[in-house]
Amino acid sequence: MQLWKFILILTLSTYSLLVIIVSIGGAKNIVQMLKELKEPPDQPEDLNT
Amino acid sequence: MELTDVFSTNFATIDWIIVSVYICIPVVIGLIVRKYIRQLSDFIVAGRSLRLFIAIASLTGTELGLVTVMYNSELGFLHGFSAFHIAIIETVCILAIGLTGFIVYKLRQLKVMTIPEFYQIRFGKNVRFWGGIILALGGILNMGLFLQAGARFMMGVTGYSNPAGLKLFMSAMLIMVLIYTVAGGMISVVINDFLQFIVLSIGMIIGSIFAIKAIGWNNLFKTPESVNSASWFNPVAEGSEFGTIYVIFMVVLTFSAGALWQSGTLRALSAKTPKIAKQLYAWSSVSYLARRVIPMLWGICAFVFVSQTPKLFAAFKGPEAINSQFGMPIFIAKVLPSGLLGLIVAGMFAAFMSTHDSYLLSWSSVITQDIIAPFKKNSFSDKSRLLVTRICIVSIGLFLLIWGLWFEAPVSLWNYMAVTGTIYLAGAFTVVTAGLYWKKASKTGAMIALLAGLIAILGIFNWTTGENVPFYLKDKFIGMMTFVIAILGMIIGSLLFPDKKKVEEVEQ
Repeated sequence: MQLWKFILILTLSTYSLLVIIVSIGGAKNIVQMLKELKEPPDQPEDLNT
Repeated sequence: MELTDVFSTNFATIDWIIVSVYICIPVVIGLIVRKYIRQLSDFIVAGRSLRLFIAIASLTGTELGLVTVMYNSELGFLHGFSAFHIAIIETVCILAIGLTGFIVYKLRQLKVMTIPEFYQIRFGKNVRFWGGIILALGGILNMGLFLQAGARFMMGVTGYSNPAGLKLFMSAMLIMVLIYTVAGGMISVVINDFLQFIVLSIGMIIGSIFAIKAIGWNNLFKTPESVNSASWFNPVAEGSEFGTIYVIFMVVLTFSAGALWQSGTLRALSAKTPKIAKQLYAWSSVSYLARRVIPMLWGICAFVFVSQTPKLFAAFKGPEAINSQFGMPIFIAKVLPSGLLGLIVAGMFAAFMSTHDSYLLSWSSVITQDIIAPFKKNSFSDKSRLLVTRICIVSIGLFLLIWGLWFEAPVSLWNYMAVTGTIYLAGAFTVVTAGLYWKKASKTGAMIALLAGLIAILGIFNWTTGENVPFYLKDKFIGMMTFVIAILGMIIGSLLFPDKKKVEEVEQ
């Protein structure tokens, strides 16, 4: 039972932390991604793959 | 107890407004980012431009769907804390993949867009074709009950109990997903996943606090009177419906799904570099833990709540019992206040949409890239492929509507998902692992392993449930044996029928 208590507390605390980190980092990543996608592609897509 | 009492809810007009406003946002995003689609790789793998944090949000958004919440809460409702073993096993598997880069690092290095694309590189066109068919079959069947689970969630939370109306509502939801996925492809999907990750995560964390508060921290860990204390906490205790075979099956299934479930792997393949693909898994192990533990917690709270209310408890027992999937939605509808309930439901719809969009994109890109394209040669332009992928998305959506409306799984929702997932995973895991790490792996071995996956179909029919079912007809045994047969098929097939012409090593 102690194990499940520990797992529960661990999950709620680490996930809350992850949500904060990913929210900030992810917003920056989206801006970078859209900037890159605006630029012309380096090389044509290989259609045979 | 009257059905109307069972389905009484705190869901009010304000909650409907929150949900209605929220579900329009993804469609708008899909239409806006449409201009960024220039070529096929932009549509399927977002131009391979995903950085770490957006990839984590997207992977979580995909793998934490409404159906995930429903099947995990059902497991918690039925089996209590013993269901947590699946969460721990999956988390350890995902972390192991992240730390070692097993499979995902090499696949990202190869720049493939789908798993069957790798089959062609290593084993040739035929293996890709058949592998694509089995992947699409397993994947689409796996989605089959998403709508039904979503409808049950809505019914439980809103108290709206007209099945026809609910089906119409869920169909409308699916159509909205189709619109933004067809329009914006992977770029639209990852931006929506990010938004949905935030809304859903906040909803889940706050919802958990309310759920624990409603039950009481100490009460949560007391065994309800109606269940066996040992099996409520221990998955391999005597009397547990899980047992050792099930636990072993979960190790194999969650490890292979972690590395090779197309919708999840698609995020690794969309990562900017192979190193990011690897890091993505290590970080996401926390999300994988949460996607299991939090809904299971809600399910456990729901069962404790139901067992403390005799009339409600009676509604879940006997021949006329309502489905156990209703446990969690009915519970949150009664303990969460209006407003917060709207936020949670919006989060759940976010989850519903983020899973559907990715799965639709995954299976339709497999059909286009792996089943149709290899046989079209030069006449299949990028534009045509985009069109075919979009047609496939709509066609799969139609299939889901029909299948979801009439098929009733005889096993629990998770077991249905596990078994249908095995159709693809047993073969794929064997073929990709052998293809990457075993030089003697041959085409014949690969074909046998892939076809062996079809054995798992036996696990979704009625003969797997009921009293006195022999162990070899249980879904967990069928699932486990499918993996064993696929691995043996690969080894024996490769040794007896080696490739005549040496296939170049993948690394080259």
